[in-house]
Amino acid sequence: MKRILRLFDAFETEYVEPYKSSWIKAKLKRQDDLRAVAEALKEEGLRSLVTVSPTDFPDESRMEMNYFFEDLQTKRNCWLKCDIPRTPDQCRIDSLTPLFAGADWSEREAFSMFGVDFADHPDLRPIIVSQDFYGKAPFRKDFDWEAHEADTLNHLKTIVNDFEKEQQNSDANLDPDGSETVLNWGPTHPASGPIRLKVHCDGEEVIGIDPDIGYVWRALEHLVTQKDFIGAIVAVERLCFMDNINSMVGYCMAVEEIAEIQITPFAAWMRVLLGETARISSHMMGLGGFFNMMGLHTLAMWNMDVREFFLDFLESYSGARIATAAIEPGGVRYGLQSNMLDELQKALDKFDATKEDIRSIFVKNPTMKLRAGTLGILTTDMIEQYALCGPVARAGGVRTDIRLDEPYAAYSEVEMAYITQETGTAKDRFTQLFNELEQSVDIIKQAKKRIEAGIADGEFNPTKDHMVKVPKKLPKGEAISRVEWARGEVLMHLVTEEKAKSPYRLKMKAPSFNHTMMLDHLLRGQTLSDIPLVFGSLYICQGDLDR
Amino acid sequence: MLKILDFFDYAKSESLWMAHFCTGCCSLEMAAAMGPRYDWERYGFLPTPTPRQADILVITGLVSKKILPALLRTYAQMPEPKYVLALGACSFDGGPYNDALSVIKNPTEILPADVFVAGCPPKPEAIIEGMEAIKSKMKNKEPSAASQGGLWKEIAF
Repeated sequence: MKRILRLFDAFETEYVEPYKSSWIKAKLKRQDDLRAVAEALKEEGLRSLVTVSPTDFPDESRMEMNYFFEDLQTKRNCWLKCDIPRTPDQCRIDSLTPLFAGADWSEREAFSMFGVDFADHPDLRPIIVSQDFYGKAPFRKDFDWEAHEADTLNHLKTIVNDFEKEQQNSDANLDPDGSETVLNWGPTHPASGPIRLKVHCDGEEVIGIDPDIGYVWRALEHLVTQKDFIGAIVAVERLCFMDNINSMVGYCMAVEEIAEIQITPFAAWMRVLLGETARISSHMMGLGGFFNMMGLHTLAMWNMDVREFFLDFLESYSGARIATAAIEPGGVRYGLQSNMLDELQKALDKFDATKEDIRSIFVKNPTMKLRAGTLGILTTDMIEQYALCGPVARAGGVRTDIRLDEPYAAYSEVEMAYITQETGTAKDRFTQLFNELEQSVDIIKQAKKRIEAGIADGEFNPTKDHMVKVPKKLPKGEAISRVEWARGEVLMHLVTEEKAKSPYRLKMKAPSFNHTMMLDHLLRGQTLSDIPLVFGSLYICQGDLDR
Repeated sequence: MLKILDFFDYAKSESLWMAHFCTGCCSLEMAAAMGPRYDWERYGFLPTPTPRQADILVITGLVSKKILPALLRTYAQMPEPKYVLALGACSFDGGPYNDALSVIKNPTEILPADVFVAGCPPKPEAIIEGMEAIKSKMKNKEPSAASQGGLWKEIAF
């Protein structure tokens, strides 16, 4: 950490300070220094740029750029800021994509949402936003959403025309004597979900893939700014329903940090318990999805059977199966009754009764090993460069897990270790998910034991300890929080104003965004039939891809 | 002759196939309805990969501006008779995304739904109940709502 601090001596900074246990927070005075600083950080070992998050301050006529650098090996991170002018023709900064390949889509997102122009970006096209928002910077504070919405019918025309023009162009650009063609994979493909991959192929061989995303863009980051701090969890949990608990935990941690509130140990353990339940329900769908993509639906059916029992627990706790809204700033929303833990025990028993069947039939499945054992290889180098995270990164042998790197809730008291695979193939990612299921069940058992013991000896009061009061108005501040979500690291960057009733800006960095970027690299030179398999193995959800 | 036609309506209604196309998060509960606990195949429902063989289109929750043309195109590709099932608060008025202006807030005004299932997301039992309601509509020879009106006829897609 000291070496990172010293590195800033060579540059003019407004401040350089340690933040949390593993971060250095620094603000540059001159935006021209950005690339030099980034280069120095990269040499120092911080090889992943996880996201780029602009914050718009129209009153001070500046756009504040936030860069989050991470070192997946030594767990040292850097949060770098600098101001740039916000007037559209001057809102320009050097692109970091030539240094950090993973910044590609993040910068395109900042370009589409805030109109920040990145000099030397190799491919600065709009991403996520629908065609009617091209060139309009919808996330700027002065963007008139109401006026824009009044013209919806015309916007639909724009979208349709653009699509038709694109189809005509892709035909016109192809050699009429060659065998190359451009296929649309999705959004109506049964394996795709709402995403469209523009697959450039020659016969069976894939030449390149350009994902077209944004089919479920709900502008969540804008939506939260219109709600109060508690209402915002409704938007935050809809990042993706498969694991909704952990995204709420991340957001609540950021709010609690700004409000300077400590949650009770009981609430912390409840967050572990609920979070792991949600992780299991998500992994179950992920595992099933993987085999679905190979055309075998049995595993998905078996998994769904087990998953229902875990959802029963969530339902008994919160009243809802998947949209639980169970985590709130200050703790967890409801107290705990003993019959709820009985539901959980049923789920654990069901899992233990089924897991050996799943292992012997599917994890050791010879066909799957043959099919997926050589496909979609992610090397350590690619994982770092593109800032991949979660099970996808761990399957490639990178030891990264926020629960261990920067323990939150009660994870510091949980006994767990990094689970990794070695080669990073599609098969490894499948095995990784299954092993993580077992790990999560183990963590649930620990948390359940701890909570039961705490209640038994009077340490926890399950009807009162679940919540501490959080003031309705928060002071001016900003915070970042990281959680290990089912699909990987979610980084929340929350900014509040003085006496704030609602978030001023919330950036949610979600894992699928970076993972989808890898499709092109993994599938070049492969065949068309490999697309669903590699897509399924990357464990992508469109919810957190588009936000 | 009349009897034979009745029989076809009966047969059609008891094997409703759904176009496998999801627009939003409610598709998760659709998947649960397909799963072993709820097992909608008991009632003759089945997802089919192509709209050309489908009887119903399910609007699974939110419809964004970008996906609306794809949704309408899928609907247009389906053979008659075809019905629409709308799931979740989003398909009614935007639901939790009512303040988010990047989503379509009146999908069922554009493509009228025959049955609307409330919830965010609706539970699998409710989804199956909604499908059953479409069945009875088919048996009673009621025309589908989208064939009667809706803005979709005025929108190019």
